[in-house]
Amino acid sequence: MKLRFTHSWFAIYFVLVFGCSADLPAPSPTQGAKSLNFGAERRLGNGEKNPSTPFLRYSPDGRLVAVWTEDHDTPWPQGSHTGHQRMGGDRAPSPMRNAMIAWSKDGGESWSAPKRLNHTVEAVQGEENGPKVAFTPDNKAFVVWSIPGVKGDKTRANIRLAMEDGKGGFTAARTLNEVQDAGRFPIIETMPDGNLLLAWIDRRIDGPKPRQLYLMKIDSRGQALTKNYQVGQGLCECCKLGINFADGGRTVYMVDREVDANKIRNHVLRKSLDGGASFGAPVEISNDGWQVPSCPHSGPSLGRDRRGHLHVSWFTQGRSEQEAGIYYSMSTDGGKSFAPRTLIHRNTAPETLYNNLVVGADDTIYFAWSNLDTNSRSQIYMRTLAANGRTWSPIQQISNSKGNASRAALALKNNQLQIAWTETDGEDSRVVFRSVTVGQ
Amino acid sequence: MKKARRKQALTHGQLRAFGLLTASVVLALALHAHSVWAQHVHPAPPSSAPVVGTAAIAFDLKTLDGKAAGLESFRGKPLVINFFASWCDPCRDEMPLINELSAKAAGNYQVLGIAVEDSRAAVSEYAKEAKLVFPVALDLNSTVKRAYRIFGPPATFFIDRQGIIRDIVIGPITSERAKEAMKRLGVAK
Repeated sequence: MKLRFTHSWFAIYFVLVFGCSADLPAPSPTQGAKSLNFGAERRLGNGEKNPSTPFLRYSPDGRLVAVWTEDHDTPWPQGSHTGHQRMGGDRAPSPMRNAMIAWSKDGGESWSAPKRLNHTVEAVQGEENGPKVAFTPDNKAFVVWSIPGVKGDKTRANIRLAMEDGKGGFTAARTLNEVQDAGRFPIIETMPDGNLLLAWIDRRIDGPKPRQLYLMKIDSRGQALTKNYQVGQGLCECCKLGINFADGGRTVYMVDREVDANKIRNHVLRKSLDGGASFGAPVEISNDGWQVPSCPHSGPSLGRDRRGHLHVSWFTQGRSEQEAGIYYSMSTDGGKSFAPRTLIHRNTAPETLYNNLVVGADDTIYFAWSNLDTNSRSQIYMRTLAANGRTWSPIQQISNSKGNASRAALALKNNQLQIAWTETDGEDSRVVFRSVTVGQ
Repeated sequence: MKKARRKQALTHGQLRAFGLLTASVVLALALHAHSVWAQHVHPAPPSSAPVVGTAAIAFDLKTLDGKAAGLESFRGKPLVINFFASWCDPCRDEMPLINELSAKAAGNYQVLGIAVEDSRAAVSEYAKEAKLVFPVALDLNSTVKRAYRIFGPPATFFIDRQGIIRDIVIGPITSERAKEAMKRLGVAK
C-alpha cells in the first residue's frame, strides 16, 4: 500500500515536470552571455528605387557581396508593354524590378557602385524569393533569381542565371528550368568540388498540389553538368530551401517545408550520399502539426558546424496560436534524428515570421528573425547559441523600423558578422545593413 | 485529538512522498516561470481573434485607384472581404470564384479584395492579369491583416449589413463553402 502510494506520487511528479511540455523550454539568456554590439545602420541600393530583399555572401577572396532587387523606372515606349521580359523599360509604378549587385572590401564600410544583373527588363522577384549569389573558388559570381511566367503568374515562374563574364560585367541571364513557367524559389550553393548546385521548387508536374524539388548542377564556366532532375516531392509551394555539404560534397543536406494531404506543414531534412544525385527519405525535424490551408511563406534555415552537427531554425504556428514562433533543433548524427525543438522566440501576434541562421568558425550559431514589437511593427531580432549548446544570449532587437522590417540575411567571415534586411513603410522600401565584430 | 491521530497515521514513506510532491510542484512552477520569463521581450499573443457573431474590426484603406475603402464605407450592404496576395498560389486558385461572387452581386452585396504583403505595382499587374471585377485595397503596412489575425492569405470574411461577421473561411474557398457562407450572410445565390 505504502509502495503504491509512493509510486503514484512519482507518477504525478513526472507528469508535472515532464508532461507539461514536450518541447525544450524557451531558453533564457545565460548569465554573462553578451549581446552583439552592432555598428550603425547603413543603406544599400538606390533609395529612390525601393531596394528590397537583400542577400549577403562572402566571396573566397574576402569581399562581402550583396544582391538585392530595386525598381526599374525607365519610361517604357508606348505600345510595347507586353509580357514580363522586355527589352526596354517600363512605366512606374511597374512590377519591373532589377537584380542588383555590389561588393565591399572592408566588411561593409564602403561599397562598389551597384551593377544591374539583368540585361533585359524583368520583374525580378523579391520577398523570400529574392536573388541569391554563390562563388566559384576563383571568385566568379553566379546569381540566380526568378521572374513570373509569360502570363505574369509569379507562381508559375522561371529560374534565371547570370554569371560574371570576366570583363567586369555579367553575362545575359539564361533560363534554367527546361519546362517553361514551372520554377520558383531558386537557391545556389558552391559544392566543395567547385561546381555549383542549384535547387528550386518546381510545378512542371502540376498536381497533386504540393510541389517537387528540382536540382541542376553547373560547372565553374556555367556549363550544365546535368539536366533538371527531381529529387523530392510534397514541398510547400512558397517556402525557401536550404542546402549544406559534408564529406567534400559527397553528402548533401537540404531542408524544406513539407505539406501532407491534410495540409499539415512540417519541416524536413533530405540527405544525399552521392553528391546530390539522389536523396533518401525525408527526415522530419519536428512534428509541429501545423495544419494550415493558406500560404504562410516562410522556409527553414540550415547550418553545419565543424563537428558535423546540423542546426536548423524555422517558423511554425504549431498546433495552436500560442505555440507559434521561431524554433531551433540540432542533429548530432548526420541528420538521422533531431533533438526536441527549442523555442527561440514566441510569436507576439498572428504573423508569419522569417528566419535565418549562420554558424561561426567557433561553432557559435547566430539566429536572426522577424517578430512584432510592442507597436505591432515587424522588427529584426537576433540571439546566439554558443558551441556548448547551452549558452544563449539575450534576445536583441536589431532594427528600429517605423514601418516593418523583415527577411534578414546574414553573412559571416572570421569574426565579421553582417546582417541586412528589408524595411517597408507604405509604398516605400529600403535595404538596411549593419555589421558587428563577434567572438570577442 | 483527531488531528493528532491523523498525524500519527502518516507514515514515513508518505511524508517522503509529500515532500517529493511539493518539490515537483515547485520545480514545475519554476519551469513555467522560467519559460514565461524567457519570453520577457514580448508577451504571448493576445486572444482577440475575430470570430463569427462579433463586429468586424474597422479599417481604413485605399483602393488601387485611390478611393476610400474603410469598413464604414461598405456599411448598409453585406460585404465579402477576401485577403489575398499576388504571389500566393491558393489565392490564385480561388480568385475565379471570388470574381464570380462579385460579378453576381447585382447590388445585393459587395466584394472587397485586400492585398497583403504586396506592392501596388504587383497587385495592379495581378488585377489586370486576373481581370478582377471588384475593388482592391492595399494593406501596405499589414495593419488590417494583423487586426484580422491572418497568418497567411487567402482568408475570406463574410460581414452582414450591420457589420457583424457571419462566416470566416481560412484558406482557399470552394464554391460549396461560398454558397454556405452566402446563405449565412442572408444572401440567396
